[in-house]
Amino acid sequence: MKLAMFTYRLLVLLTLVLPAAVMAADDKYTETMQKNINIVYTATAPAELQNAVNTLERIGAAEKSKWEPFYYASFGYVMMANKESDASKKDTYLDQATAALAKAQALRPNDSEIVAMEGFIHMIRINVDPATRGQQYSGLATQNFRKAVSLNPENPRALALLAQIQFGTAAFFGSPATEACATNTQALEKFETFKPADALAPRWGKGMAESMKEKCK
Amino acid sequence: MKILFTLCFLFPLAALAQTTLSGKILDDKGEGIPGANVVLEGTYDGGTTDVEGKFQFTTTEQGKHVLVVSFVGYKEYRQAVALEGSPIVVDTRLEETINELEVVTINAGAFTASDASRRTVFKALDIATTAGATADIAGALNTLPGTQKVGESGRLFVRGGDSNETRTFIDGMLVLDAYGPSAPNTPSRGRFLPFMFKGVSFSTGGYSAEYGQALSSVLALDSKDEAAMTRTDIGILSVGADVAHTQAWDGGSMAAKVQYTNIRPYFGLINQRIDWKTAPASIEGIGAFRQKVGKQGMVKVYGNFNHSDYSLYNHDINDYNHLTVYDLVNNYRYLNGFYKTVLNEKWNVRGGLSYTSIENNNWTGLDHTVETQKGAHAKTVFEGSLSDKAELRTGVEVIQRNYDQVNDLNAGQDYTLSFNEVITAGFAEMDLYTSNAFVMQGGLRSEYNSLNKKISIDPRLSLAYKTGKSSQIHFAYGSFRQTAKNELVRIDHQLGAEKAEHFILNYQIMENNRTLRVQGYYKRYRDLVKYVNGDPMQLANTGDGYAKGLEFFWRDNRTVRNLDYWVSYSYLDTQRDYLDSPYRATPSFASAHNFSVVTKYFFTDVRTQLGLTYSYTSGRPYNDPNADTFNGGKTPYYSDLSVNVSYLPKPYIIVHLSCTNVLGRDNIFGYEYSTSPDAQGTFNSRPIRQPAPRFLFLGIFITLSKDKTTNQLPTL
Repeated sequence: MKLAMFTYRLLVLLTLVLPAAVMAADDKYTETMQKNINIVYTATAPAELQNAVNTLERIGAAEKSKWEPFYYASFGYVMMANKESDASKKDTYLDQATAALAKAQALRPNDSEIVAMEGFIHMIRINVDPATRGQQYSGLATQNFRKAVSLNPENPRALALLAQIQFGTAAFFGSPATEACATNTQALEKFETFKPADALAPRWGKGMAESMKEKCK
Repeated sequence: MKILFTLCFLFPLAALAQTTLSGKILDDKGEGIPGANVVLEGTYDGGTTDVEGKFQFTTTEQGKHVLVVSFVGYKEYRQAVALEGSPIVVDTRLEETINELEVVTINAGAFTASDASRRTVFKALDIATTAGATADIAGALNTLPGTQKVGESGRLFVRGGDSNETRTFIDGMLVLDAYGPSAPNTPSRGRFLPFMFKGVSFSTGGYSAEYGQALSSVLALDSKDEAAMTRTDIGILSVGADVAHTQAWDGGSMAAKVQYTNIRPYFGLINQRIDWKTAPASIEGIGAFRQKVGKQGMVKVYGNFNHSDYSLYNHDINDYNHLTVYDLVNNYRYLNGFYKTVLNEKWNVRGGLSYTSIENNNWTGLDHTVETQKGAHAKTVFEGSLSDKAELRTGVEVIQRNYDQVNDLNAGQDYTLSFNEVITAGFAEMDLYTSNAFVMQGGLRSEYNSLNKKISIDPRLSLAYKTGKSSQIHFAYGSFRQTAKNELVRIDHQLGAEKAEHFILNYQIMENNRTLRVQGYYKRYRDLVKYVNGDPMQLANTGDGYAKGLEFFWRDNRTVRNLDYWVSYSYLDTQRDYLDSPYRATPSFASAHNFSVVTKYFFTDVRTQLGLTYSYTSGRPYNDPNADTFNGGKTPYYSDLSVNVSYLPKPYIIVHLSCTNVLGRDNIFGYEYSTSPDAQGTFNSRPIRQPAPRFLFLGIFITLSKDKTTNQLPTL
């Protein structure tokens, strides 16, 4: 059934609101990473994204102890999946996103950001076949978002994503979005106080929460 | 690397020694591969190929390095390069890997349903949401081509084969008697609930050498892996209730379900043609345990028990007031253990053990019969790749069955019929890919049967060729055998296996949620069991027969938003000379034309799915002992329009209403005749009808879980 009537496409575009300017680079790793993270955040052309993802995978292969290259490669594949209309290609990108994220996860088990990204992949999976996948993957995504929040209650992205899925469910059932909006308010508060751990820490998602705030009015 | 970087910084001159690398990456057809990652191994340097497959980048690295080119779907290419400042050009072709998405598949005659795979024609969820199927696996599969609708049976009859020629396997393990008991001439339901399975593969012919003891068709069910979340499900049905609980932990889960079905109140409200003394009631318990073992290993244990009973009055054809009580108590136990593990990078092993026990305790008037069947099946299969283009699957199995029928007759002369059969089998099958476009599968299966002490060897062969990006053509041949029905083997243990050969040609095009499939087949039956001189106590493997047909399937869930529909048509021409047939005749379960349309439409605004299924079956032969021709009669056509409605009032509640045969057509499946002629020398008859024109079902399904958005939809 078309439980997944959420407009993921729009939703994902909204995540692309530019994060705060990145700090000055202090070495080659950080510098190259920042350049490519920015492309992943802002690129719209698939070739440009593919290029950035390839570079991130190269960095990941060279820097064996860093989790960030794989995290952002995964994010890049999610963006590519989101722009792809062919169902089986979409799945292929999501498979690649999952594979890249698994490498990040192996380096950093139980990380709130990585768990939230896993949920994000599940959420985009619904798009491929909402009728068959809606139920299963919305359940899995919700589970991931909740786990990400419990791992780090200060993670604003986990809350913002959870708010999205709650909003979609409420809209589908025609019930008030009270719970979703409360989660979203919480997410916005956390965005205000959120302090990135370092120059490469994830910064995306605020735009998504802000646009939902409009819908909640 | 940092050192290199520092060195470059310290000696600015060295930084000038840049090397440019460029080239073109092509596929095996000579077309450029865009998006391939070109890497100078161990460095950040590299590039991505453009639309034409071209790349270019410069590096300040020096000396010997390895250039690696990779892209999903192709083999990694590696080349040593010496970076000395002069430009390097690398042009190469990448070799295709056998890619799950692009590769041609062996699918002649098979409808594979799995929610995970993207190449499925039929989904596991379809079983629950097909109107008229009432969440019964066989009911839903009956809307696919290759099946013949036999309304009074409810079982799967495939391509001119009798229902016992379709065998059910769960996780590769044989199930004895996959259907629940039913009163004579009323449809039975499958014993296994569709929600347990993540994948369903229904093969209407030409299946793998892994499956033996099935003449016509194999229904292979893949049970679900570990559950992801803890939940409790409650179902309140118009014919009973069920409750299930699933407990999930990291890497494993355990589930239990109890279901009670009692159709007595329903039959009290809606008049039935059957004169029930006590209508059917059953209690069923199901348990499932799943645990991941190691990195990719999995252990599954599944078991169920079922107890059902009913009794009815059988009225004599000649004299309605002369009646006999028929009483049945059925006990069923099934236990299945499955394991799967990876041996090394190339090989994995799977296998299991299953045990079935069936007991039918039956009274017909004052005659008492107890029929028991106990069976065990053990199997181990090794699967692996010999190279990246050759895969081997090989295994051994033992199927052991113990059958007993104890007859305690009122008139005396009690007797027992029994047999004990052990089938030992081995098989090997190889898939050879010459490219993503062509695959050849060859296999052999050998069996030894302890009853008739015969060794058999059966070959299987499949060839599939991709004719376009999303279309393929497939040919399959196979030789199949199956021990004759229990009713026959219990009389003559020496009977040989019945045999069939399948020849199948299939064309399929699948693009963007639209599928078209056309297939033709020819099936030859040999060694069918026949009565010698019309005496059912004297049997011989002297019968034969054939079936041929043409099938058509179209599914589209793209053209109209929120509408999913499929259309199936099968033409069947079959005749067989077996059992009491005096010569080759079309059996009474075979109908020439079977047509069905299944539609599902989702009304977003009211969160309601409406399903409509229409089925048509042309008349079936029946034998009139008053006529000269055997099986010369023909029943009227069968037609049925079924409707179902599913409504989601809350994310965790589903209300489901369904009604079969809404138009109330009085379908006639055949005629029963009296065993002896009346005074005028005529055998009296009466038609075999549906027990009631319609069947109405109402269910409310509630799920209790932590996130409150989970419902039973995927499991219904």
